[in-house]
Amino acid sequence: MELLTTLLGTPLSQAILLPAVWGLGVFLCPRGRTKHYALAGTLLTLLAAIRLWTGFDAANAAMQFSLDLSWLPVYGIHYQLGIDGISLLMIALTAFLMPISVLASFNYIKESERAYYACLLFLEAAMIGVFAALDLFVFYLFWEAMLIPMYFLIGIWGGPRRVYAALKFFLYTMAGSVLMLAAILWVVAAQHAATGVWTFSIPALYGGALTEQAQFWLFAAFGLAFAVKVPLFPFHTWLPDAHVEAPTAGSVLLAGVLLKMGVYGYLRLAVPLFPQAAHTFAPWLAGLGVVGIIYGSLVAWTQRDMKKLVAYSSVAHLGTVMLGIMAFEPAAVAGAVLQMVNHGLSTGALFLLVGVLYERRHTRITEDYGGLAKVMPGFAAVFMIVTLSSVGMPGLNGFIGEVLVLFGAFRVYPWLTGFAVAGVILSAVYMLGMYQQAVFGPLRHTENKILPDLSFREWAYLLPILVFILLIGVYPNPFLRRAMPAVGNYIQLSQRQAAPPPADVKISLGGIRK
Amino acid sequence: MTPDPISFAAGALAGPLLLLLAAAACLLLPLFLRSLRGTPGLIAVGAVLVALTFLRRAPEVQLSLFNGALLLSPLSVYLWAFVLAVLGLTALISIARPAAPEESTGEYYFLLFMASIGLMTLVAAGDLFTAFIALELLSLPVYALAGVKRSKPGLEAAYKYFMLGAFGSGMTIMGVAILNALYPALTFAALKGGTATPLALAGFLLVISGFAFKTALVPFHMWVPDAYEGAPTPVAAFMGAAVKAGGVIVLWRLFDIFDGGPVHRIFWWLAAITAITANLMALGQSGLKRLLAYSSVAHAGYMAIAFFGGQQGAQAVLYYLPVYAMATIGAFSVAAVLEKGEKGPQIEDLAGLAKARPWLAGAMAAFMFSLAGVPPLAGFFAKFYAFAGAVNSGNTGLVVIGVLMSAVSMYYYLKVTVAMYMKPAAGEHVYEAPGLAEGVIFLMAAGVLLAGVFSRPLLALAAQAARFF
Repeated sequence: MELLTTLLGTPLSQAILLPAVWGLGVFLCPRGRTKHYALAGTLLTLLAAIRLWTGFDAANAAMQFSLDLSWLPVYGIHYQLGIDGISLLMIALTAFLMPISVLASFNYIKESERAYYACLLFLEAAMIGVFAALDLFVFYLFWEAMLIPMYFLIGIWGGPRRVYAALKFFLYTMAGSVLMLAAILWVVAAQHAATGVWTFSIPALYGGALTEQAQFWLFAAFGLAFAVKVPLFPFHTWLPDAHVEAPTAGSVLLAGVLLKMGVYGYLRLAVPLFPQAAHTFAPWLAGLGVVGIIYGSLVAWTQRDMKKLVAYSSVAHLGTVMLGIMAFEPAAVAGAVLQMVNHGLSTGALFLLVGVLYERRHTRITEDYGGLAKVMPGFAAVFMIVTLSSVGMPGLNGFIGEVLVLFGAFRVYPWLTGFAVAGVILSAVYMLGMYQQAVFGPLRHTENKILPDLSFREWAYLLPILVFILLIGVYPNPFLRRAMPAVGNYIQLSQRQAAPPPADVKISLGGIRK
Repeated sequence: MTPDPISFAAGALAGPLLLLLAAAACLLLPLFLRSLRGTPGLIAVGAVLVALTFLRRAPEVQLSLFNGALLLSPLSVYLWAFVLAVLGLTALISIARPAAPEESTGEYYFLLFMASIGLMTLVAAGDLFTAFIALELLSLPVYALAGVKRSKPGLEAAYKYFMLGAFGSGMTIMGVAILNALYPALTFAALKGGTATPLALAGFLLVISGFAFKTALVPFHMWVPDAYEGAPTPVAAFMGAAVKAGGVIVLWRLFDIFDGGPVHRIFWWLAAITAITANLMALGQSGLKRLLAYSSVAHAGYMAIAFFGGQQGAQAVLYYLPVYAMATIGAFSVAAVLEKGEKGPQIEDLAGLAKARPWLAGAMAAFMFSLAGVPPLAGFFAKFYAFAGAVNSGNTGLVVIGVLMSAVSMYYYLKVTVAMYMKPAAGEHVYEAPGLAEGVIFLMAAGVLLAGVFSRPLLALAAQAARFF
């Protein structure tokens, strides 16, 4: 009983358990009401996330909302949760995008509605769990558990090549992650050998002293899992397939949240656990990030399918983020964290907009449109703002993140950053090219003359995103302020040498357990 | 309050003896009383339930009975409970989907019970002689069970299984003979820690090979796909869940006799080759039962990896067995429900199952994800414990092979879910009102869903039992 109140009493645990339990409840819900029921669940979760946001102390660098319950005593596995600014932003983004995804699915999903919304809710629980976990086992559990609902989302409700895309998504991610499991076991066994204590607690493992060679292999194993998820060039090939075939909500969540998990993995685990190896790998990872920017942009440029174009633009954007976090420089890392949120908002919105068009015309080929500004002025305006946000226009959110990353990274990797700037220019070329072709010009196709503008429901889910796109663009401080202490911790941990860290690092991490 | 050891021993042994009576009843009663034909299944389930009541919490001691031939301890109680549970579930599926022709129902349950008694003796065996006799008591009924349908694939399965099994038994008895000539006593406890001469080593290797046949470690696995495919589906479930467990336990005892050295190196290779070969072979299978057969071989490999984890490994194996058994029994039950031909359903026969029978498909998906080791299903926890022990004892290389091969295994387990959820139905799925078989399936599904996240109680029992290895 006491256990139950502890589990449900903390907002962080609520944000994980609520969607999970709510997802089970879907099967008891009367058939016609499923979508409203699911919407209510995601809104309640959003409420829990808002409580986290308002209750978060931005000045405190420690892990907050901590919860630590013994789960499987054999290996000292604890159900340990806690968030810093970076996790807070990610959880807020997840909880924010979920009701939007549900709303976007209202008319699109006609078949097996119950299973669909159950998958979405389970996915939400697992995603928030990944960002909240402070125990390696719990992290891995949520990390892998997330694959099942996403696999079904793509495979059952996806496009024509959905089976191929779903399998590819699952197998790529799984193959990337299994070595991480072996590495996790290795780290914990090494810690046990050194201290005699079994613990999977991430803050406790930060203090571990590993030899440089061990760090190298461990970083490689963790890094591979995260690189597949980011996705870093050349591990990105699952992404266009998965994004294109997934239903709109699936694409939004894939781009908006799942890709961030890779970056989050580097921020929370790979770099702080193996700082020396991180410094060996950093230039390469940053370099792959920049290759991703250029390559993603060039490939996006050639796409006729709008969803594919947006998918490749994700590769480019995440390349920028990787460049930022591998620079170990406050501005760059903070910019990268903010850019994670920005990408979630703008790319999420882009997928939603493509979904809006697809629901009306059942095609995603740019040439099938043209002149939409005349028939769908509201849509054209929203599309314009989102496109500019994605390109990084000053005054909108994308600009802040990109500029911070480029400024910060330039001090560390001047040459790489130079190339990255070229990628920014390319993004304008392909994004604006698509926008122009679809929205401006004459109305070439007669079918397009009768397209209705955005409905009330579509406004309802697009407007909140627009608000944040503008808000972060002009006043990013509330977001950066919360992330900064966590960014500081990350940089401090990344500079730790083989010697045990100074005592104050552990305290600043919340002094949870050690 | 710990019960008095003698009364505990008497009570514990009453279980198997009761099964013997029940077996005789199943065989003989229908012969004399016509009205009882068709009821042996009920007798069987009742007997299992009564036998389960004889399993009380064991005192924290190891009782060595009959000059060390039989070891009673929390370990034996744990394994007996496992065997009885598997037997009960097999009996339930057999009632719902009869594996034997009407006239041989009595014989069917008799054989099933005799095999279970053999298995119970095998897992509690304290020396190699007892182990061998128990192995024969287990194997002979199972050979017959494989062919109980007298269909062509069934007879082929029985024949192959018998030929190769007899070869395995021959190797075992040869090995036991060699060891008997060299050592004064053949109890596992006496053999432990002794130095092995080359001849003794040869003897041990023969014994190990013999039990590797039963456990189906590569390269001793050739009989498995044909036997599982041809045998009646409930029997295949029993073979996969229970017979394999007996082999695993004895192999573990043999492994435990040595402290490193060539035998452990051989086990290393057996585990690695089993994990690799079985998973690669499974990729090309199109029959559901064949797929499950190769999957069972692969899981034997993972359990062999756990051997290297010492005490933690023992605990992991004991946790692994029921978790693996739940998924296997569940998956075979689904095969039994969908069975039309003699060789069980093909994977493509599952197409469209999610639409026609969503709960059945959901349960099957849970079994597949559990066997593949995806969290939060129990199979993940089992693999985790198995690998954790091995990494801790410094066998990271073996674990890397294990995790990579479980990534490979993902592909063929996913094939099943793809068919069920993402392919349109090829034929008609007849809707049937859920019955006993479905009951077993949902029970197993609940098991694999919950036994992982709430693995504490089961793991505590396994830990207690593991101390008596």
